[in-house]
Amino acid sequence: MLAPNRVILVLGAIALLLFCSLDFGTIQPNRIVEGTPYGALDALEWGGFALVTLLLAVTLVAAVLALPGRYWAILVSVVLLLMALPWLFSGFLEDQLGERYPYGRGGFAAGFWSLLFLLALMLVEGLRQVGASAWLRLTAGVLVLLSWWRALEVEALAGLSLVMEFQTRPDQFQQALLDHLALTLGAVMVSLLLAVPLVLVMIRRVRWQRPVFALVSFLQTIPSLALFGLLIAPLSYLSANLPLLQQLGIRGIGWAPAMIALVAYSLLPMVRNLFVALTEVPADLLEAAEGMGMNRRQVFLRVQLPLALPVVIEGVRMTTIQATGLTAVAALVGAGGFGTFIFQGLGQAAMDLVLLGALPTVALALAADTLFTALARLSARLNGATAQPSLIYE
Amino acid sequence: MIELTNVSRRFGEVTAVDRISLTVETGETCVLVGSSGCGKSTTLRMINRLLPHSAGDIRVDGQDIREVDLQQLRLNMGYAIQGTGLFPHWTVARNIALVPQLQGWERARVEARVTELLDMLGLSPAEYADKYPAQLSGGQAQRVGVARALAADPNILLMDEPFGALDAITRENLQNEMLRIQRRLRKTTVFVTHDIDEALRLADRIAVMDQGRILQHDTPDAILRQPASAFVESLVGSQDRGLKLAALQSVAEVMQRHPQPRQAVPEKVSVGAQDSLRQALSVMLWQQLSELPVVDDQGLELGVLTRERLWRETA
Ligand SMILES: Nc1ncnc2c1ncn2[C@@H]1O[C@H](COP(=O)(O)OP(=O)(O)OP(=O)(O)O)[C@@H](O)[C@H]1O
Ligand SMILES: [Mg+2]
Repeated sequence: MLAPNRVILVLGAIALLLFCSLDFGTIQPNRIVEGTPYGALDALEWGGFALVTLLLAVTLVAAVLALPGRYWAILVSVVLLLMALPWLFSGFLEDQLGERYPYGRGGFAAGFWSLLFLLALMLVEGLRQVGASAWLRLTAGVLVLLSWWRALEVEALAGLSLVMEFQTRPDQFQQALLDHLALTLGAVMVSLLLAVPLVLVMIRRVRWQRPVFALVSFLQTIPSLALFGLLIAPLSYLSANLPLLQQLGIRGIGWAPAMIALVAYSLLPMVRNLFVALTEVPADLLEAAEGMGMNRRQVFLRVQLPLALPVVIEGVRMTTIQATGLTAVAALVGAGGFGTFIFQGLGQAAMDLVLLGALPTVALALAADTLFTALARLSARLNGATAQPSLIYE
Repeated sequence: MIELTNVSRRFGEVTAVDRISLTVETGETCVLVGSSGCGKSTTLRMINRLLPHSAGDIRVDGQDIREVDLQQLRLNMGYAIQGTGLFPHWTVARNIALVPQLQGWERARVEARVTELLDMLGLSPAEYADKYPAQLSGGQAQRVGVARALAADPNILLMDEPFGALDAITRENLQNEMLRIQRRLRKTTVFVTHDIDEALRLADRIAVMDQGRILQHDTPDAILRQPASAFVESLVGSQDRGLKLAALQSVAEVMQRHPQPRQAVPEKVSVGAQDSLRQALSVMLWQQLSELPVVDDQGLELGVLTRERLWRETA
């Protein structure tokens, strides 16, 4: 018996409502002047407006009508909408900027963001409802990204302020990406390397457990700005007095204090997950392994570690996501990364520059999430957890 | 041969095993039986040094186990535990292959051995070798656990309630399997259970334990006929001791044999030669008969079992 899908119904209804009532885009004659907002109908004219409304209506009808195959209708509509958005916006930019404002620029407004966000949620729910395979998920994602990529490639969004901010500093952007990745991955790697011996000691010697947990939890509670700031003075002092450190590029500001702080924050999720992962392996399995004649190393490498791996990867996932966000803050101590744009943008009251820093940061976090979730699944499957997520139809 | 002499094990204040002495002859199955917490598992774990003993002497084939290389000692002792202890991330085949691999057997030999063991335990190798433990039923998993313990053909088997978590029928099947394997392989076995019927069935000799001590160490027959203390008597149950005794002997051992096997009369009530006296008694009671023809698997009548003979044997 097919019942109405309330999730999609509600999401679709809100999307339609916000699309019709909120501003869709803004137009600024130049970078400094405040933008003029345009509602969806003004921005897209009747054609574009009708297209969006129609596709949203299809999802609403499909969500209510209990017909077989309705989730495919929903998926197709949602993917089409997500693919159409950059082109619709491109039309808006062309109409409004054109000859009128040669130095003008357009920006996404609340209605556009809401639509984007709600459509993404509907896509996730639709994929879940059809029990989509990894391939189908990937296909849907790639289709949407390709459409956006194509729009950028043919400069259909050249008038978008975000794109203009990027185009005035492509080298800075690339450098920021590299710095961001290096800091985040470096911190994750170092904290993993530190966590392994710590946790091994904690497992062997019970009395180390409390102090180690207390320490890493304490580090986590220091506000990030304070920790970055606090490190500047001692590092400056050390660097001024030890030439070796200077040669290594360790100074009071820059990557050194950022890295130390990031590692400090990464230790808690890393240590906690590693500890739980390793101690949750059932004791009777370890005893069976030992009783069977494996030595300590064999028990650890062949039984304990492989069985713990999914939870370990989960820890790395959480740590990476957290570190990606914190690295943005590290720009304050001159460490580089996407935070640089965020803070510059805040300083110049240029919100699109802020976005140029914030959006890639979010994208990196999402990419890390996807990657490590897939890895954790894979390792759980290799562990003989054969249960596939069951295909649930209503 | 396994010899324990005045062996104790303490955990802080608790004395889990208290100066026990026990000899398990080569090829013999010794069953440790007793209520929960009496020290059975502790005794077993001391034999493969999962737990060091606090006092006394443990020798295996005359050698003090503390002087043997730890890995060598364990590789030579098959070990099966309750809840199987199968590694969930390995296939059935890889689980069974563990000890042979640790001993450095060649691949082909390991594979042949895995196939042989799966066959021996009634699991079709084609079907089960590549399954994961999570895909097995409880009984199948225990079979794999036993196969794994037997894999490298150890001299000694240590089994800690290997059939503990199974239903009565599966349990009985596995006990039969175990008896069949033991008749063939004659491993020196220490088997832990808290089920006295399982103990009576599988044991050459039973060691009854209570509060870390061995109260009686004797054959099942002697444990039933001459319990050494009130505790042992209550363990074997005073009411149905006769039935338990009857369950120990097969009909073939007691029947009056015909000079020549003859064709059995079809449809007539009979018992099998390998059935226990207990089963024969039950048939007599149910059918109100004073004698039963005894037939073998081929349908030949080998002899008769009379009520008088049965009475005399279980007296
Ligand atoms: N590692 C340990 N630390 C402390 N005490 C222990 C430990 N192992 C066993 N004991 C204690 O030793 C006693 C005997 O335990 P053992 O596991 O040998 O019992 P058992 O006869 O196998 O019982 P069961 O039938 O429940 O398995 C119990 O009182 C138990 O609490
Ligand atoms: Mg026990």
